[in-house]
Amino acid sequence: MAAPPVLVQVLRERRRSLAGWAVAFAAICGMYTSIYPYMAEMNLQAMLEALPREMIEALGYDDMSSAAGYVGSATYGLVAFALLMVFAIGNGAALLAGDEESGALELELTSPLPRAAIYVQRLGALWAQITALVAVVFAVTLTLDLAQGLGIPTLDLAAATLQLWLLIGLFGSLAFAAGAATGRRGIGLGVAATLAVVSWMLNAIGPTIGLEWMSSISPVGWYMDSNPITRGFHPVDALLLALAAALVIAAGLRRFVRRDLMT
Amino acid sequence: MGHHPIEIQGLVKDYGSFRALHGVDLQVARGEAFGFIGPNGAGKSTTIRCLLDLLRPTAGVATVLGARDLANNPAIRARIGYLPGELVMTGRRTAREHLTYLATLRGGAGRERIEPLAERFGLALDRPVNGLSKGNKQKVGVIGAFMHAPELLILDEPTSGLDPLLQREFLALVRETAEAGATLFMSSHILSEVEAVAGRVAIIRAGRIVDVEDVRALRERAGQHVRLTFDAPLPAEAARAFAAIPELSALTIDGARLTALLRGSPDRLLKEAARHQVTRWSAEDRNLEELFMDHYRQTSADAGGEAC
Repeated sequence: MAAPPVLVQVLRERRRSLAGWAVAFAAICGMYTSIYPYMAEMNLQAMLEALPREMIEALGYDDMSSAAGYVGSATYGLVAFALLMVFAIGNGAALLAGDEESGALELELTSPLPRAAIYVQRLGALWAQITALVAVVFAVTLTLDLAQGLGIPTLDLAAATLQLWLLIGLFGSLAFAAGAATGRRGIGLGVAATLAVVSWMLNAIGPTIGLEWMSSISPVGWYMDSNPITRGFHPVDALLLALAAALVIAAGLRRFVRRDLMT
Repeated sequence: MGHHPIEIQGLVKDYGSFRALHGVDLQVARGEAFGFIGPNGAGKSTTIRCLLDLLRPTAGVATVLGARDLANNPAIRARIGYLPGELVMTGRRTAREHLTYLATLRGGAGRERIEPLAERFGLALDRPVNGLSKGNKQKVGVIGAFMHAPELLILDEPTSGLDPLLQREFLALVRETAEAGATLFMSSHILSEVEAVAGRVAIIRAGRIVDVEDVRALRERAGQHVRLTFDAPLPAEAARAFAAIPELSALTIDGARLTALLRGSPDRLLKEAARHQVTRWSAEDRNLEELFMDHYRQTSADAGGEAC
């Protein structure tokens, strides 16, 4: 069977940019994880207790007593999470709608490939890139954990990684699908970024004001709740993330194969 | 089989509340070189985009190479060569990578012709496409449209951006392709651009086909603006002699200067002019807009002055 040509071409053209992102993720995750032993010595927990409790909870910095709690808050809960969101939403909106707006997509659209194949292969290229970056985050964190003997439970880390992958895939797919449905990159960006922020705020603020249901309707809540690593594997939440992604992908495809293109 | 490569019936296309096509009918026969002319914004590109299934018609049917349902027949495009009006090529791709990718999308068809065609048009294949001049981009587009020897070529404003030398090479390629039996459908807003190759032309204006006819008949009917200057004012009997020439209309004689619209053979005009001393002459093909004005007047006259 021949390789999917669009997927191969997109990945080939993005390989340099992807390599740059991978290096940045490795550096940032490496830095955060490797400073934990020093922060543990400084008794971070005591320092944080001086801050208002609501603020700490909203930031997810409520469990600094273990490496799992720290990496869950700082890397998986904040830095890697936010950067992956930026990457996935930006790329998701650019990959189909951006190329349609610039006219670069015309080559594929006037080729013998069906529209659905173009959609699926470009989406595949997005997921492949997200997978590569999430794998970098996992590999760097795991390596430093083992090297420094931080004692993060590997299964919990793997579960958090899987759930992170699904969450980032969901928002990347949302940007992609909203862009594909409308042909406007700005709409893809706007819809996905707005929902990501709202979703993060529901999860961050809900519990601090006693409205726990806010977390449970938020995809960010399905991923991290209060801490993505210490909470471990949650099959129902993982399934919800996967289903939401499938729904968004199907809706975008349905619209893309029916509408006028390159208008 | 018996079908026409392009068969358009009652094609209507709305963009929101704006109607871009008002029921276009067209038939292009196998092996025909067909010109599709009209001013910018008349609906040429909209029609072409419907043929490629980029746009879905509001009403009517476009049948391409026997496929009535274009949405479910994307594979039909393997047999079409399409040259976009404005080719967009982004990224650091080289021309070779761009064309190789296009061949891959077509299942590999035409890959072996990239090199010889690039040589023929003098295109450097290893330069990044985003830095190419308009003419060089157009060469990439031409090679992409022709390399897989398609049955049907859809060319949107094909010679824009090509310098005269390349235009000649392009027209030679078009003729070879036509001789090999391919069907050509080329759009332009300039009649002379399609005149060199097209047998028949359709004229589209404001989303309606206003005329389909032989390109030579059209050119003859279109006529030329003729201007002659003599060394002395023309006497009255000479003016009467010019006025009697049936090929001339809109004749004005102002002292030593004569202007007229010539339709058909210039023979009688030249013979009459040669009786006098001619100091300057010019003959200019009328442009498309003027032809539209003719059509417009004609159709309003036919319809009893009803607006278009």
